[in-house]
Amino acid sequence: MKTKRVATLIAVSVAANAAIAAHANSLVAPGAHTGIANSKLSANSQGEWNRLSRVDGKNVEVWTLDGDALNKVSFYGGIANGMPLLREPDKKRHPLPKVSGTMLMTDIPALLETTYRSLGIVNQMEIGEQSPAILGGRKAIRFTYTLTRAADQVRRKGEGIGTLVDGKLYLVTYEAPALHFFDKDIERYRQLAASLAL
Amino acid sequence: MRWSGIVAACCAALTLTPPSFASAPSALPPYTPAYEPTTVDERGMWMEADERERLLRDSPLRIREGGLERYVREVLCREVGDDRCKGVRVYVMEIPAFNASMMANGCMEVWSGLLLRARSEAELAAVLGHEFGHFELRHTLMGFKAKRSATDVMAWVDVLGGITNRDMSSANVSLVGSLYRFNRAQETEADLLGFKYMAASGYPAKAASEVWQQRMAEDDATALGRGLKPRRNYTSGFFDTHPTDLKRAEYLAKAAAALPADGDARVEQYRAAIAPYLSRMLAAQIKMNDFGGTDFILNSLASSGGWSGELLFARAELYRTRGNPRDLQMASLWYRDAKAAGYVAPELDRNLGLALLRNGQTEDARKSLGAYLVARPEAPDAKMIQALLAK
Amino acid sequence: MKGGLIVRAAVFAALVALSMPGIAQERTGSKTGFTLQPGTARIVLMRPTIRVGAQSTGGMPEPNADWTRQARENLTRALRAAQERLGNQVIEYDEGASGEGQIATEYGQLFGAVADSVIEYQFFVGNRLPTKKRKDSFEWTLGRGIGELRSLTGADYALFININDEYGSTGRKVLQLVALMGGVAVTSGVHVGHAGLVDLKTGELVWLNADAAMGGDVRTAEGAEKRVAQLLEGFPGRPSEKTIGGQ
Repeated sequence: MKTKRVATLIAVSVAANAAIAAHANSLVAPGAHTGIANSKLSANSQGEWNRLSRVDGKNVEVWTLDGDALNKVSFYGGIANGMPLLREPDKKRHPLPKVSGTMLMTDIPALLETTYRSLGIVNQMEIGEQSPAILGGRKAIRFTYTLTRAADQVRRKGEGIGTLVDGKLYLVTYEAPALHFFDKDIERYRQLAASLAL
Repeated sequence: MRWSGIVAACCAALTLTPPSFASAPSALPPYTPAYEPTTVDERGMWMEADERERLLRDSPLRIREGGLERYVREVLCREVGDDRCKGVRVYVMEIPAFNASMMANGCMEVWSGLLLRARSEAELAAVLGHEFGHFELRHTLMGFKAKRSATDVMAWVDVLGGITNRDMSSANVSLVGSLYRFNRAQETEADLLGFKYMAASGYPAKAASEVWQQRMAEDDATALGRGLKPRRNYTSGFFDTHPTDLKRAEYLAKAAAALPADGDARVEQYRAAIAPYLSRMLAAQIKMNDFGGTDFILNSLASSGGWSGELLFARAELYRTRGNPRDLQMASLWYRDAKAAGYVAPELDRNLGLALLRNGQTEDARKSLGAYLVARPEAPDAKMIQALLAK
Repeated sequence: MKGGLIVRAAVFAALVALSMPGIAQERTGSKTGFTLQPGTARIVLMRPTIRVGAQSTGGMPEPNADWTRQARENLTRALRAAQERLGNQVIEYDEGASGEGQIATEYGQLFGAVADSVIEYQFFVGNRLPTKKRKDSFEWTLGRGIGELRSLTGADYALFININDEYGSTGRKVLQLVALMGGVAVTSGVHVGHAGLVDLKTGELVWLNADAAMGGDVRTAEGAEKRVAQLLEGFPGRPSEKTIGGQ
């Protein structure tokens, strides 16, 4: 009996170890990366990043340098018509706003804001500048914003770039605390954003 | 209380005999304001409340400007009397949900979502008085325990639903969400006491019933807007602190009918006090992705004061945000109506232009967007609007 | 079925907890080569966050003010006594007439976010960030701005202390393990104790002590002393002291 239990514990241990390893955050080495967020988004990273194992949504991928509370790059890869940006905790009673195939560029930051607000994860959010940009050779929108997350009350700044291709939304955002962190890594984010391809 | 227990209690509540309001409410008992915490739990509540009050006082969400907090406190004092409201501190927080709560240490917190939804001073007073009733009856001390099981369930949902956000019921007091949840008997007691305040206040007593009816009607509208069946449950979220039901609104209405019908709801004074904050409250409400509920609120505001330029603009915004082809058509109409009704901000031209553009009416869109750019050449989105025109 | 999934996940997590004590967190990190000689530095103690109570599965603290008031008194007393042992001058933060109360609060919040990140992504072994796994890597900062606060003029370091002493229920621990298995980060919220030292010349977090298994009942004077000793264990430059009972 005892050896059987020990054997079981060992087996569980090994399985758990493997499970943990499979779920660990992974290194993004310098160089080209394709298939970001399970989509045709690709980027070229000059330095190292960390890719979080956590899944915020089916076509969402998060990279960070020091932890997503301190610097957070979110990739939204080809969110289709009728789909929300992030995973919906309660589809029926608290649905999130959806991507629309007819949306204008200016509707992209509005969608991000409404998504965050209806999830209740921000206390305050304001879209700042909006200007034309290029993403993957296509016309896109670049926008800035400020937000305060309800969870930690830290005041943050954000910058994003997004476009629609064949009615699907591609969006990349960078968020970090306004004190020190946003400025610290903004150039690294902008380098990534400039290298984006579809 | 376990989760299944909460559900059972709600269902049981529907079959409870309503309290007897047959005779006019007796006079208010004398008020003893000084109350020192005695037990260990009570001291705990005070300390937690003091800490939370400090956070509220310093919070960036607090609406400090314009005397709004002073006004809300005046309404409370008119409702419960000066003896009772002496020493109460009122904080108004810019949070787009219907809520008011009072803590064991005499600190009252009111959310802007409540101010958007109340249709008169009397309705606001009814809610504030009800919360004060919980405080006078010391329910705030007992409610804390009931909250626990709701958050247990929520935590599992968070994990298994894979929500990405941090667990918001964190160790430090969170500004979003209330601390208290009361059981059916406590809600009834607070209703009873609230009724006594109302009878002595000069406000019409029927406001107490009307505010809950309005809440239910809005919940119904929200549900319908989401393709759900209305009248399933009347909480606006499972963890709402104001569970409301048909029976309750009914007995409050019946009790009010037994009292003389006079009283001044002070609708005009209320509208005037809220007016400086209305557009920002409407803008925040529109961003909550609740089409049915927001449409209901707009219609309700319009039914008492008419479709002002501001309300027409908000309605257009709501429809443009949803963005179906017919919505965009309606939005364009209402932007134009808003302009005719006196809404002059250039942002209207921009949003009208965006609605037209999205709906394929490019030539008309150009005119509106062009007008915006002439009025606001340095706007933060001017370059983007120009780019849209250049297509 | 949701209920069944909860049960299976909980059982799995419990087994894992039994067989893998290695999930325990690290305690202290400090900037490579950082030391602090006694008598050399002026340290400002930022307003500590202290709350003591039991915590249910849902992460909701049940405050117990007797504990909290006693804890605050005892901890302050113990910190003052420890000053002498630290050999450095520790003074309490005073906003004075600087008007910097709000920004000091923001730095306190930022410290919380940084400390959370250190714990979640460096100390918590299963969740590490590969770029921060390298040996001797402890590079965390609040930025240079904090050194420019007028109310911190003349000070060399800021000491931030959070004690949310929530004796986590079994449910809570299981929840965290399930979350870890599922790749979902459930912030512990159970930051049972952080003490962090920020170098005001550079804004760097030069030392952080965080532990999910702190001992010492802070309601008592001895317990507070023990807790302070644990919080300040590994405090740079201070001769290390073994904690009583080793817990």
